[in-house]
Amino acid sequence: MAALLTAETSDYSREMATASSEIQNDEATWIAKAQRSDSRAFEALYRLHIDRVYGLCIRMTGNVSEAEDCAQEAFIQAWNKLDKFRGDSAFSTWLHRIAVNAVLGRMRKSKREHDRIMAVAESVPAAVATSDTGELRDLSEAVDRLPEGARHVFVLHAVYGYSHDEAAGMLGIAAGTSKAQLHRARRLLAQQLKQEGFEA
Amino acid sequence: MSEQNDDKMMQAASRLSTEIAPERDLWPGIAEVIEQPPARRWSPMLAQAAGVMLLMAASAGITWYMMQGEDGATTEVVNPDMMFERASFGSRSLGSGFQDARDSLVAELNLELAKLSDEDRATIRTNLTVIHSAINEMNEALEEEPDNVFLQERLLRTYREELLLLRRVGGLTRNVMLRNDI
Repeated sequence: MAALLTAETSDYSREMATASSEIQNDEATWIAKAQRSDSRAFEALYRLHIDRVYGLCIRMTGNVSEAEDCAQEAFIQAWNKLDKFRGDSAFSTWLHRIAVNAVLGRMRKSKREHDRIMAVAESVPAAVATSDTGELRDLSEAVDRLPEGARHVFVLHAVYGYSHDEAAGMLGIAAGTSKAQLHRARRLLAQQLKQEGFEA
Repeated sequence: MSEQNDDKMMQAASRLSTEIAPERDLWPGIAEVIEQPPARRWSPMLAQAAGVMLLMAASAGITWYMMQGEDGATTEVVNPDMMFERASFGSRSLGSGFQDARDSLVAELNLELAKLSDEDRATIRTNLTVIHSAINEMNEALEEEPDNVFLQERLLRTYREELLLLRRVGGLTRNVMLRNDI
């Protein structure tokens, strides 16, 4: 029985590895075609990456409409800059950088507009619809309520696993600032979750 | 906050979903943009050159106009669309003093223009249009190069040209009234 399980697991691993390799081969082909202005190949790249790009946008903005705009902007920017993609990093990482820039740019613009019209209504972000359940959902909602700087660092570092150097590079801040923001985020989250009786 | 809870929080964070499907398909909006034929965009240099040319034309037009005599009075009112406001690097960046003066002159412009002849009014309208086109061109160039000091100075100068023209319109109508009184 154990031998059968091992064999099955091994087969499964091989299948997964093959599938992953096929996706990577497909991705490389799509990138090459998209770089030659093939929009259908670019659509395939969009289908492959949209959930991860949108996930990052929604976690960073905490707002569905803003996240949709940012994700669209990111893919449009990616299309315009595709000739500059040399494969030095993974395509997904390259896309993430563009998406982070789209979010930051949009937030700067929103802030300018907000300041200009002197809106007094405080915007309270709606809860981000994710597949997280139970305590993870509580954590997800607490992350949405973090201040902007702390939220961005927490999302990139703690949720998406980027190092402080990588997160700082994406956000245009120093690595030390990234660490300080993470510390702040943890403290604020701990306070919020304690109030809600979260036991992670 | 204990270190253990802190670690638990970070572990929980790493389990949060990183892939979230948007509620609607975003591709059509993207396709609409990327499948358009590339529009020929103005290079900053071209935009600068066009802005400077328009400004020179406007200055020449104002000078020419100031050398002409003015006579007659009509009642036609200028199209309010001429009063434009550019958002990206708008006239508000010149400070509240400038903006107050401009707002006040703009508010009076229609009344003042109504006192001038059709020909004079058309000349002023043309000059304002040229100035506004120059401001638009420079604003577009500044969107590409927000730190371009040359463009910023040109833009400020053009706003001052606009203010000068608005003031001159007021002066001209006062002259018309004086002659009519006589």
